[in-house]
Amino acid sequence: MADAATPKTGVVGPTSAPDDVLRVEHIAKRFGPVTALKDVNLHLKKGEVLGLLGDNGAGKSTLIKILCGFQKPDAGKMFLHGQPFEPNSVDEARAAGIETVYQDLALIDELSVYHNLFLRKERLHRPVPILANRQMKREARTALDEIGINIPRIDVSVARLSGGQRQAIAVARTVNSDADIILLDEPLAAMGAKEGAQILDLVARLKEEGRVSIIMILHNYVHVLQACDRVSMIQDGAIALDKPTAETSVEELTDIVVNEYRRAREATHREEAARPAGP
Amino acid sequence: MASAAQSPAQGGSPTPQEDGREHHSVALPAGREILSRLISLREGSIIVVTIVVAIYFSANTSSFLTTANFKTLLPYFAPLALLGAGEVFVMILGEIDLSIGAMYMFAPIVFYKLDQAGLGLVASMIIALLVCMVVGVINGAFVAIVGVSSFVTTLGMLFSFEGLSLILSHGTPVATPGAQVTQTEAKVHHIVNGHNIVLSEKINHIGTFAKLFGGGVYSELIWAVAIVILLQVVLTFTRWGLYTVAIGSNKLGAAEAGVNVKLVTIRNFVLCALLAAMVGIFEAIRSQTIQPDPSGPNELLLIAIAGAVIGGTLLTGGSGTVVGALIGALFLGILDDGLILQGVNANYKLFYTGLAIIVAMTANVYVGRVRRGHSGSG
Repeated sequence: MADAATPKTGVVGPTSAPDDVLRVEHIAKRFGPVTALKDVNLHLKKGEVLGLLGDNGAGKSTLIKILCGFQKPDAGKMFLHGQPFEPNSVDEARAAGIETVYQDLALIDELSVYHNLFLRKERLHRPVPILANRQMKREARTALDEIGINIPRIDVSVARLSGGQRQAIAVARTVNSDADIILLDEPLAAMGAKEGAQILDLVARLKEEGRVSIIMILHNYVHVLQACDRVSMIQDGAIALDKPTAETSVEELTDIVVNEYRRAREATHREEAARPAGP
Repeated sequence: MASAAQSPAQGGSPTPQEDGREHHSVALPAGREILSRLISLREGSIIVVTIVVAIYFSANTSSFLTTANFKTLLPYFAPLALLGAGEVFVMILGEIDLSIGAMYMFAPIVFYKLDQAGLGLVASMIIALLVCMVVGVINGAFVAIVGVSSFVTTLGMLFSFEGLSLILSHGTPVATPGAQVTQTEAKVHHIVNGHNIVLSEKINHIGTFAKLFGGGVYSELIWAVAIVILLQVVLTFTRWGLYTVAIGSNKLGAAEAGVNVKLVTIRNFVLCALLAAMVGIFEAIRSQTIQPDPSGPNELLLIAIAGAVIGGTLLTGGSGTVVGALIGALFLGILDDGLILQGVNANYKLFYTGLAIIVAMTANVYVGRVRRGHSGSG
């Protein structure tokens, strides 16, 4: 991990800024014969919402898993608030202020909304460590109201909620913590327009507050341009584009992908042409 | 003939089928909602069934609703309630502990050996319990750290420690230390037809130690009720209980949220082993002998699991109550006792117990669906 890979041509170099809360340089990760990440440079400013785009298998989720401490990179360096950052576990990353909403949401179906919100951060009566359920309910209600999530009843199990409400609870859980960096892995996956809009509204409100910085994986370019300050696109395990959303457009993003597909198609044709003709 | 029969069937088949389906969905609504409300209380179904069964036996046998019968019921259901209470904590995790049979058998033998070595009753008992708690740690470590399935781990421990019990005891029954009955003679005055008659009567005494730990008539009942209430509070109102449910409901999610899955798993296996060891010692004191025979414990462990299941604890984890296990044990006790009083053949008894488990389990699956809101009616 000490010897960072040398930057290659055509790869966006690390752009360092004093107000970066998170910066990763030359991150690489292989899974056996598969190279998930070749050389990734990424930075996140305070209060910024960064949209992470990329085709299936481009390495988006791998990058998120490295940032949240779930996996370790093979090479490269990470910096959190300017300090070297090498989390050995999700707990370590969380202690450092990075909260993640996984695609599976990590909600406990059998537990109520407020118990899910306060999982591992339970409020207790003292001196006997009995759960202060009433206090948690009250605080959960306040927290949900503050970030504008409308859940009719917070004492029902989360299994009874809709997909959008569940996602909102999962996001609210991270907001309700002391985290200053939130990673969202496809928060709009498998969600209708109405529910998706709720989540994007929530992200917009968090952006306005400016307390947390967010990296979120998205698929829809319109959502990215609407909700994010900046967009990074991963292609073949490296950042192919890194621009403020104001300076890019759906057309430009689409072109990159179209070109990628054309290159892939041409490569396949070349391989087929090079292959000796069969019987 | 074949073609003649086919053509009308082909033409007419879609309509009656659709008809039938519509009738089905329309016919159900009103009564079902009331029923689902009643049984969506976690222990609701088993409470109702237990009361119904108790009323049935009270009406049919004159000797059912008597103090004497209640006393015969106690030694059956109090140990089951205690064993079930520990098992519930493991089952909510989505695991199972079969080794409670071995702990039940092993603890009194350790207790006996230590007492023989001169450690004294209380110290021997405490060390015997601690030894069994270590076995619980091993169970939990194999499941949570090594990753062996709990069924396999605890099955292995069941056989190992039942075997070890036989080795240590040489398969010979012994008298339980501290449980000896002493007799004293007392002169008792009777007044018969106006005459004062003095008769000497023999009075049985058991030691205070035995009275406290299983020997007293209500000793096991008091322990069972106290521990069940305590553990129900732990399950419902503490982080320990919350994390137990969280792990059983979504192990990965709980771990991602930062719950220490290994610690909670090990702790619950320790609790389960401790309670089984306690019951083992209590029962040895109550019966005054330590019987190194695995057949009793093997049956008891399965009945304890049945009691927990009947009481609403899901084998798949994530849901269950300690009070439910107590009621489940009470239900099995009443069923067993009532069937005996009615003079039902022992073979039928096992058959009815089996049916009761299946019916209760089906009800629990339905209740779970209603509570999660997955079913059409919920």
